[in-house]
Amino acid sequence: MATEYARQTGDQWAPDDRPRRRHVLPPALRAPVEARTWREFGYLMLGLPVSVLFFVFAVTMTSLGMGLLITFLGVPVLAACLAGCRGFGAVERARARGMLKLDVADPAPVRAKPDGGPMSWMLAMLRSGTSWRHLLYAVLHLPWAVFAFSVSLVLWSYGWAMLTYPLWQWVFPVYAGVDGIQLYGDGTHHIYLDEAGELAVTSAFGLLLTLATPWVVRGLVTVDRVLVTGLLGPSRLATRVSELESDRGVVVDTAAADLRRIERDLHDGAQARLVALAMDLGLAKEKLAHDPQAAARMVDEAHGEVKIALQELRDLARGIHPAVLTDRGLDAALSAVASRCTVPVRVEVDLPARPAPAIEGIAYFTVSELLQNVSKHARASRATVDVWQTADRLMLQVGDDGQGGADPTAGSGLAGLAERLDAVDGVLVVDSPAGGPTTVTAELPWRG
Amino acid sequence: MLGGYRAVKDRVRVVIAEDSVLLREGLTRLLTDLGHDVVAGVGDAEALIKTVDELASQGELPDVVVADVRMPPTHTDEGVRAAVRLRKDYPDIGVLVLSQYVEERYATELLAGSSRGVGYLLKDRVAEVREFVDAVVRVAGGGTALDPEVVAQLLGRSRKQDVLAGLTPREREVLGLMAEGRTNSAVARQLVVSDGAVEKHVSNIFLKLGLSPSDGDHRRVLAVLTYLNT
Repeated sequence: MATEYARQTGDQWAPDDRPRRRHVLPPALRAPVEARTWREFGYLMLGLPVSVLFFVFAVTMTSLGMGLLITFLGVPVLAACLAGCRGFGAVERARARGMLKLDVADPAPVRAKPDGGPMSWMLAMLRSGTSWRHLLYAVLHLPWAVFAFSVSLVLWSYGWAMLTYPLWQWVFPVYAGVDGIQLYGDGTHHIYLDEAGELAVTSAFGLLLTLATPWVVRGLVTVDRVLVTGLLGPSRLATRVSELESDRGVVVDTAAADLRRIERDLHDGAQARLVALAMDLGLAKEKLAHDPQAAARMVDEAHGEVKIALQELRDLARGIHPAVLTDRGLDAALSAVASRCTVPVRVEVDLPARPAPAIEGIAYFTVSELLQNVSKHARASRATVDVWQTADRLMLQVGDDGQGGADPTAGSGLAGLAERLDAVDGVLVVDSPAGGPTTVTAELPWRG
Repeated sequence: MLGGYRAVKDRVRVVIAEDSVLLREGLTRLLTDLGHDVVAGVGDAEALIKTVDELASQGELPDVVVADVRMPPTHTDEGVRAAVRLRKDYPDIGVLVLSQYVEERYATELLAGSSRGVGYLLKDRVAEVREFVDAVVRVAGGGTALDPEVVAQLLGRSRKQDVLAGLTPREREVLGLMAEGRTNSAVARQLVVSDGAVEKHVSNIFLKLGLSPSDGDHRRVLAVLTYLNT
C-alpha cells in the first residue's frame, strides 16, 4: 500500500512531468549565456557599490554614536544608524528578490509602546536583535563584496577576452606597436602569442574560463544568499512563532466555523421540524372536538415528523463526534461512514495501533468529507478508502472512478480540509484530472 | 369559540416570510384553516419587501406580515431589518416577527417609535394555535403582541427595579400581560378574574409607576415599555 502511495504521488511531483523547453546544448555549455548567470553576475557587480555605501554609512554612524554615548546624543544617533541599516537591509532584500530570486521575508518591525513617544521607539530599536544583525551585515558584507566583485569580474573579462583573442589578433595583428599578448619580455627576449597554435591554445583556455565562470559566480552568490537569509531575514524563532500564530488562527476559526455549522444545522433542521411538529399537534388539538378525522390525519403526520426530527438529531450528534469512533476506532467508524455514501465503498484500514484521539478525529472527518464529495460531485460508480501507517505518519487515501476535476484551490471544501490538516502539520494531496479518476491522499502525524 | 377573539377583522390578509419550507407551509395551513387569507409566502427578506411593494401598488396591501428573523442570504437579522423598513414605508401594516430565540434588542428595534401593529414572538408560540392566531389578528388590527420572554427580559433589565419591587405579585402579572399587548378583557380571561378587577390593578400599577393612565391599549403598552426601557 505504501508503495502505491509513493507511485501515485511521485507521478505528481516529479519535475519531469512539467512541460519544459527542450534545449540542444547540455547545461554546462548553456550556463555562460543563461539569464540566471547574467542576473547573478549583475548582482555581484552591483553588490560592491551598494555595500560600500552601506558600510560607510554604518561605520560612520556607529562611531559617531559610540563617541557621543557619553552624552545623551549618542542614543538617537545610534538608533538612527540602526534604522538606516534596516533601510539598507530592505534594499538588499529587494535586490536578492529581483536578481537572485531569493525571497526573504521582511523581519518584524520594531515594536515600541504605542504611546511611548520617540524615546521608547529609540530604546526598542536599540533592543531589537534584528537591527544589530543588519549592522553586522553591513560590516561583514563589504570585504566579501570586494572579493566577489574582483574574482567574478576578472574571471569573466579574461574568459571572454581570451575566447575571442583570435578575432582580436585577426583585426589588430599589431596594436600599439606590439604583436599581441606578451607572455614574457626582459628587454632582449619577447614571447608574443601570435602564431596559429598559440592562438588556438589561448582561445581554448578562454573557453574553459568562460565555462567555469558561471559556476564560480553561482558559488559566490551562494555566500550572499546565506548572508542575506541569515542576517537580514526574520529570526528563526520569529518565523516559527508567526507560523504557529497562523496555525492557531486556523484552529480557532475552524472551531468557530464548526460551532456555527452546528447551530445552523440545529436551527434549520431539528428545531424547525419540532416547531412544525408543535404546530401540527396544536392544530390537531383544535380539530379534535369537531373534526376527529382531520385531527387523526394530523397526528399521523406529526408522528412522521417526529421520527424525521429524531433522525436529524442523530445525524447531527454523529457529525459532532461519532460515538463509535471513541469506542471502536477508525475501522468501525469509517465503515459506518462508507455505508452512508451513495456509491459502494471498499474500506481497508491497516493500523497496528490507534493514533492520538485528536488525529483519529481529524482523519475521520477528512474521510467523511471526502466521501461526501464523492456522493455529491464525483458521479462515481465506486470508491475506495485506505488507511495505513508509515513510520510516524498516519496515511489515508480516498479514491473514486468519477469525473475528476476536483480543484483544491477553487475555494472548495477541499481547501478548508487542507487548511485543517495543515494546522496539525498534515498534508493533503489531490490528484483529480478532468475525466477522473480522483485520488486524494492525506498525511497526518501519528501523534498530534 | 374563536370568533370571540376576532375583534378587529374576520379575515385577515397575511404575507408570510419564512425560509424553511416546512414552517412556511405549516403556517399557511394553520392560518388558512382558521379562516384567514395567506396572500403570499416568500423565502427571504428581499422577496418579502418586493412582494409587499407589488401588493401595495395593486392597492391590495396585506393586513399583516409574519416574518422569520433569520433568512437567507446571511441568516442573521434580515427579518428584523425588513420588518423595520416595512413599518416605516407602510405604517398601516402590522408586522409580526418570529424568532427561534428571543432577543430583547430586536424587540426594542421593532418597537422604536411606536408600538402600533407590531409583534415579536418566539417561534414555539405557534404551537398554541389559538393564541398565535389571536396575536396575528391583534397585530393586523394595529395591536401589540410581545412574547412573554421578551417582557420578562425587559422587566428584568429595567433599571427601575426598586419601583417594580413595590408591585404586588398580582400586579406584576398584570403588568407583564399588559406589556405583551393584551387588552384588559384578555388579561381578565387569562387570569380568570373580572374585568373590573383588572382595571383596578391597572390603575394601581399606573399610580405606583407614576404614569398617567391612558385609555387606549396601544398607548398603554407604549407607556409601559418606555417606562421599562429608560
